[in-house]
Amino acid sequence: MNAPATWAERIRAGDRRALARALTAIEDGSEHASGLRAALARYATGARVVGVTGPPGAGKSTLINALIRELLARGRRVAVLAFDPSSPFTGGAVLGDRIRMAEMQADERVFIRSLAARGHLGGLAPGAAAMVQVLDAAGFDYVLVETVGAGQSEVEIAGLAATRLVLCPPGAGDEVQALKAGILEIADAFIINKADSPDAARTERELRAMLALRHNGPERPVLRTVATSGEGMASLAEWLEARAERILPMISTEEELHGPTT
Amino acid sequence: MTEFEAAERRWREAFDASSGAGKRLANRSGIEVQPLYTARDWPGEGAPEAAFPGEYPYTRGIYASMHRGRSWTQRQLIGLGTPEDYNARLREILAHGASAISLIPCNSVYRGYDADEAPVELLGTCGTVVNTVEDMDRAFRDVPLERISCGMNDPSPFTLQALLLAVAKRRGIAWTRLTGTSNQSDCLSHFVANHMFFRLELAGARRVLADHIAFCNERAPGWNPLSVVGQHMQQAGATPAEAMAFTLCSAVQYAGDCLERGMDPDRFLPRFTYFFDISISFFEEIAKFRAGRRIWAKLARERLGAKDPKSWRFKFHAQTSGADLTRQQPLNNIARVTAQAMAGIFGGLQSLHTDGYDEAFSTPTAEAARIAVATQNILREEARLTDVIDPLGGSHYLEALTDRMQERIEAIIARIDAAGGMYQAVRQGLVQRMIGESAAAFQRSVERGEQPVVGVNAYTAEEDPDAYRSLDYPERARMEAHVARVREYKAARSNDAARKGLDALARAAQGKENVMAAVVEAAEAGATHGEICAALRRELGFGQPLIVV
Amino acid sequence: MPERPPKVIVTKIGFDGHDRGSRVVAASLRDAGMEVVYTPPWQDIAAVVKLATEEDAEVIGISSLATDHLLVPKLMAALRAAGLGEVQVVVGGIVPAKDERELLEAGVARVFHPGAALEDIAAEVRSLAAKSRAMKERAFP
Repeated sequence: MNAPATWAERIRAGDRRALARALTAIEDGSEHASGLRAALARYATGARVVGVTGPPGAGKSTLINALIRELLARGRRVAVLAFDPSSPFTGGAVLGDRIRMAEMQADERVFIRSLAARGHLGGLAPGAAAMVQVLDAAGFDYVLVETVGAGQSEVEIAGLAATRLVLCPPGAGDEVQALKAGILEIADAFIINKADSPDAARTERELRAMLALRHNGPERPVLRTVATSGEGMASLAEWLEARAERILPMISTEEELHGPTT
Repeated sequence: MTEFEAAERRWREAFDASSGAGKRLANRSGIEVQPLYTARDWPGEGAPEAAFPGEYPYTRGIYASMHRGRSWTQRQLIGLGTPEDYNARLREILAHGASAISLIPCNSVYRGYDADEAPVELLGTCGTVVNTVEDMDRAFRDVPLERISCGMNDPSPFTLQALLLAVAKRRGIAWTRLTGTSNQSDCLSHFVANHMFFRLELAGARRVLADHIAFCNERAPGWNPLSVVGQHMQQAGATPAEAMAFTLCSAVQYAGDCLERGMDPDRFLPRFTYFFDISISFFEEIAKFRAGRRIWAKLARERLGAKDPKSWRFKFHAQTSGADLTRQQPLNNIARVTAQAMAGIFGGLQSLHTDGYDEAFSTPTAEAARIAVATQNILREEARLTDVIDPLGGSHYLEALTDRMQERIEAIIARIDAAGGMYQAVRQGLVQRMIGESAAAFQRSVERGEQPVVGVNAYTAEEDPDAYRSLDYPERARMEAHVARVREYKAARSNDAARKGLDALARAAQGKENVMAAVVEAAEAGATHGEICAALRRELGFGQPLIVV
Repeated sequence: MPERPPKVIVTKIGFDGHDRGSRVVAASLRDAGMEVVYTPPWQDIAAVVKLATEEDAEVIGISSLATDHLLVPKLMAALRAAGLGEVQVVVGGIVPAKDERELLEAGVARVFHPGAALEDIAAEVRSLAAKSRAMKERAFP
């Protein structure tokens, strides 16, 4: 029984149930997963993988919802992998990222999957890279990966996404100082969401000042958005599209796909 | 040692040797409840003006005569089926002596849809479907609008009130003669709990509310445009102290919005009313209301700068809490509702709704509704609870508890103030988190058996699930006929006039004009409830409450 | 391969907006080690079907306090039409006895009434999740 090939065909044909089952197989580390990945590998045309990270409350999910709207308007098909932490005591999780994506989730060109980190320290579940590949093969142009927003997930996202967006919410304290060194290094762009806050201007100044101290590498944009109203979202989408033109999406070889487990 | 101290010590020794010793008890708001209260627990009268009803700060009641003078308003919530069904039930209630009426619309109406936009199986099951001026007219056929006080369960943008005003105009009744209350006007409470009423994005709903208050103060001065609701939050799990605190903070927030527009507090505050849940935590509820009156009087006078005593008076409607009622052994609920109603009466409410015993599994049947009203009549006329004003005043326990509740409520108010006020606090999810924690704590106490609930985790019995009738749903055919009528209405009216009204409404929302005035004009021009809601959702945003798990 | 945590959706269809019960249940299922996808109220049937598909859910918990449970038979039909017959559905809330029978006949696995113990709900959901998983594994190679 050539099960993986059939399964792969169904995914290619747009069978969303088959796609969801594939993600489950990868998530659980089942023995079907590697056969399926092999069957799909050649169809991965290079989806644009965008990591969205930042502290809790920064508005990652709301931003993703608004970004999906912009990308759909540009004729793209978008998949989302949204991670939430698992309880270290019970192993359970409330996966609430879809709550803020209620508006866009109904569109046929959108696929959203909520995942629990399952104790994985990096904040992404094992197999995230494999899931991205499967979504790519299924025909999605963009895969947005929302991380848990704490711990070392920012570093893990660096290996997974060609473009890393770091949300830096405005606040009355020293959020910029609190940004861990790792984030400043890996970010491709900084987003000050909830930019309608009175603290936004100050946060932007502090962030730019901190970036100026590190002269290494190309200049990275600091964008202001108000995800709830859509302000700044068109610019963000344009920047992403332009960047994708310049830098080929990175998930293209079997080697790059090797995640921590099958 | 004084004689008092000696007697106290004797009692204490006898008590400690008894089986009651060693147990620590607390009420729902977390205040410890001692086994006994004496004069020592309540320092005394305090300032003389606190000692009398009708005098600032109104601890004992907002009026000098309270229920001995005039009974609380008996206002039973009703709503079901078509406007004709509602009218029939309404006329029955009026014939049985109800002094005030209310209208509960169908959930489809609450969500802002017309009957032709909703699944027909859900129409009319929990409330009356009213979408057009014709519907409103039929609902109130032969009802003297100028002589009856009407509780309109009608969130922003107050379309039902607009339809009512249109009907009044048709009948030649001046709007200045209409009395009633906009019962679901508190958008902050909808954002936090009971989201069904939440149609417009919060900032937009807040703006429309301020417009509504201004409009009513001017054009329908007998109408209470605002009812600040503690009930939703308490039903969602807030403790009684939290519910009172959040309600007062919301009132301060709305008052602030009005003050910012240059409105005179002595004009709008007398028309602020409140709506509370009455749980079965008997003494705690009485103390909650007494403390609430005291705190509001101070807030109105000192923080909001009101000078007219009418502005300082905390007028509230209360409903017995459905959250305490059980599906198991439902007739027990009659006893529960009686205890809850008593707490509300002793708490000095102005208006009371008692739940039907079948609340936990049905929209009330006629029999359950009759018993609910009879309960109030029995308490007043047979138990004679109202012969004395504030009869529990002076009770060592109750006065001490009132003070403790006041402290607890004020501490929560301080926390909300520190967050920037109620609007900021709900945007941040602070209120939602507090409510969630209280709900979880209560659930745990029931699950552990610490809080017994008769028939559920204590005193259980085998039951026949079919023993109690639930209300029959309206006949599908009747509701389908109603849907057809709504379509006919839209086809037969002047679409031009309705369209113009809706366009003007959109322009008002985009600019700074009074949106409520435009809502009323659109209704008068023939626009339907659903069309008005849709127009404002487009301009002001679709309400999505902040969910915090 | 370690046992996967049950994947449960907790949602509301229809018009009602009371979500105290659904929030308490969602938190309790998490505490029982399950992965719970939580949605706001007012999901329409097509949205629930899409959600169940994408999340590869094993159990859907519908919270219904008004008469929204009257829409559940339509949901059951939509799930079957989408090939999601293995997904188990439970309904919690205010459901009159006569309607409960109809729901069970429509394929709902269990109806929970007010006062149901959170422990019992968790145990039932866990057992239904295992049933669903077994059915799915048979359907997929």
